[in-house]
Amino acid sequence: MDDQGCPRCKTTKYRNPSLKLMVNVCGHTLCENCVEMLFVRGAGNCVQCNTPLRKNNFRVQLFEDPTVDKEVEIRKKVMKIYNKRECDFQSLREYNDYLEQVEDIVYNLTNNVEVESTKLRMEQYQRENKDVIQRNKAKLTREQEELEELLLLEQQSSEQRRLDVLQEEQRQLQAKRKNKQALLDELEKSKLPATLLLAQHKVRAAQLETEIEQQKQNVKPTSLFSTGIQMNQTVSLQPLPRIEEALYHYKPLQVETYGPSVPELEQLGRFGYLNHVRTALPQDTAGGYTSALACYRAIQDAFSGLFPPKF
Amino acid sequence: MRHQQGSALRKYRATSSLLLGGEQHTARFNYFYTTLITLIVQGFPCGKIHKATLGLCCGFSSRKSEAAMYHNSSQRKYWIFKSEAELEQKRCSANEAFRKKVIESGKAGMYESMFLKRNEEDVLFRHYERRLLDFCSAFKPPMPKSVVGTAIMYFRRFYLNNSVMEHHPRIIMLTCAYLACKVDEFNVSSTQFVGNLLHETPAGQERVLQQILEYELLLIQQLSFHLVVHNPYRPLEGLLIDLKTRYPALENPESLRKSADDFLTQAVMTDAGLLCSPSQIALTAILNSALRAGLSMESYLTECLGLKDDKDSLSKIFDLMRRTKSLLKKYELPKAEEVNVYKQKLERIHAEFSSSSNKRKKGYEDDGHVAKEARLEEEWTDEDLL
Repeated sequence: MDDQGCPRCKTTKYRNPSLKLMVNVCGHTLCENCVEMLFVRGAGNCVQCNTPLRKNNFRVQLFEDPTVDKEVEIRKKVMKIYNKRECDFQSLREYNDYLEQVEDIVYNLTNNVEVESTKLRMEQYQRENKDVIQRNKAKLTREQEELEELLLLEQQSSEQRRLDVLQEEQRQLQAKRKNKQALLDELEKSKLPATLLLAQHKVRAAQLETEIEQQKQNVKPTSLFSTGIQMNQTVSLQPLPRIEEALYHYKPLQVETYGPSVPELEQLGRFGYLNHVRTALPQDTAGGYTSALACYRAIQDAFSGLFPPKF
Repeated sequence: MRHQQGSALRKYRATSSLLLGGEQHTARFNYFYTTLITLIVQGFPCGKIHKATLGLCCGFSSRKSEAAMYHNSSQRKYWIFKSEAELEQKRCSANEAFRKKVIESGKAGMYESMFLKRNEEDVLFRHYERRLLDFCSAFKPPMPKSVVGTAIMYFRRFYLNNSVMEHHPRIIMLTCAYLACKVDEFNVSSTQFVGNLLHETPAGQERVLQQILEYELLLIQQLSFHLVVHNPYRPLEGLLIDLKTRYPALENPESLRKSADDFLTQAVMTDAGLLCSPSQIALTAILNSALRAGLSMESYLTECLGLKDDKDSLSKIFDLMRRTKSLLKKYELPKAEEVNVYKQKLERIHAEFSSSSNKRKKGYEDDGHVAKEARLEEEWTDEDLL
């Protein structure tokens, strides 16, 4: 990766790790210090392309390639105008064409292709579709609000849960403390022997413990399976339709060899065939080779097709 | 088309991996895999490729099961013919087809008398077959017999449906040998292979190699992708084992081996391989060898091979053997002066023909494939070969 650096003061990320690069609408970078210096009066021209820029339009460069930053900026702007939804179109085809058009505009602006005419196109579009844009914008804000509301609700409920848990703990703690106090009081006042009192206390403490345990366990009676299916939901228990098929019957393979029958591989030794072939060396047998295999193959080959064909 | 090729490729992968099971990929498998992909890329129709996959896959499983034995082979199904007359007729029609093709192409300067007659073609064929045998026997490292047998069988099968005038036997014979090496898992590298052309300079060898590779696919196609050839050598071994085991009447079966081997070597150069099964050739070799040693082995056929009650089959076998023997007897080396005359004729045809059309590689063009480059000039003569 080549070093990112400020094109004006030539500082690089390597030399100054805290270097902050900024990017403006034209897509050219400058470091923070240079921005401060050049744009003291709030406006000025880009060092590289001489575009008039404003200081408050400078953003911290997020991507390695500043043109990506530029594109993000432009896209944001374009999307404000081109904010139609799929439901605004009659067919998917039209919607896709529209999306394509948007992409074209973004591309043109990012890469400085026919900037003027593209801008004109955008303005024209804006004029023509004022109502729709306005409506969609409102819709968008409404949706935004709904989403925020949902988030808020979720936050609230989790906060509520947290508080509940906290209260419960507090209560338990209090109960334990009360229990202890009661023991001390009793030890002080009662005439019964201390061991008995202690034993009583122990039983009570144990009871308390189990109660707490039980409570913990019954905290949430779950109503959902982990798959999101409701418990107690009735599931169809009808048996699946049976598929009846004829079973496979094994038939031994019949091979017509057009020759005399060949003894089985296992019988070769018994018939004495193996006395007439070279015995396999120990190193040959490692791979599962036996001299019977070679013998068998030779005899198969010798007998295969030996009889004349019947034309 | 592209999609189709893709699906053929997938199909091929699926079948081959299915049939191979857990077996290790052999050199043979790898070779076919690459060749098939080449074929597919070059736009061979998928039907043919699928046929090829089936043929090859049968070849792969040869070690494991009986499925790849001779009786189920493409050799028995497609490459055994009824009679010599049928073979002769096929060769004649190949010759005829070539003449027709040239005349139809309207090339001036090609007239009837320029073409090789069928018998002249045969002389040249036998000449180059002999050369192929010589090349193989002088090959280093020494080539196993089955590879030689396969190569010559390819050569025979190729010129059954093609004329020597169309594809020059000089290059086809080398291609046959090269392909046989691969198919029979006799592992030589391509440079090692052409290194056996002793009279060639390294550059010349490189050129020959280029030509071999160019013709390889054509050859495979002309063999209808039936690449597994069953040779009579293993059946001979099997019969000898069987003789030793079940026919004690014969005292020293090993003594038959020498002349039986010679018989097989001669039989390779005849049409025997296109008329009889390898086991029949091997049996003929043994019986012939026994006859020479003055031994009668008829009882082996009747008793051990179970032909006692099947007089019909027995007589047919004897008939086949007689035919095979007469084939061998008929064989003679072509005369040198004849060969020279015809060779000049052949060279002239090739010179004319190759200039008249660049469509040499028929198989590709049929499928709309355009040859990548004009074929290399055949500068080398076959005198350089050995």
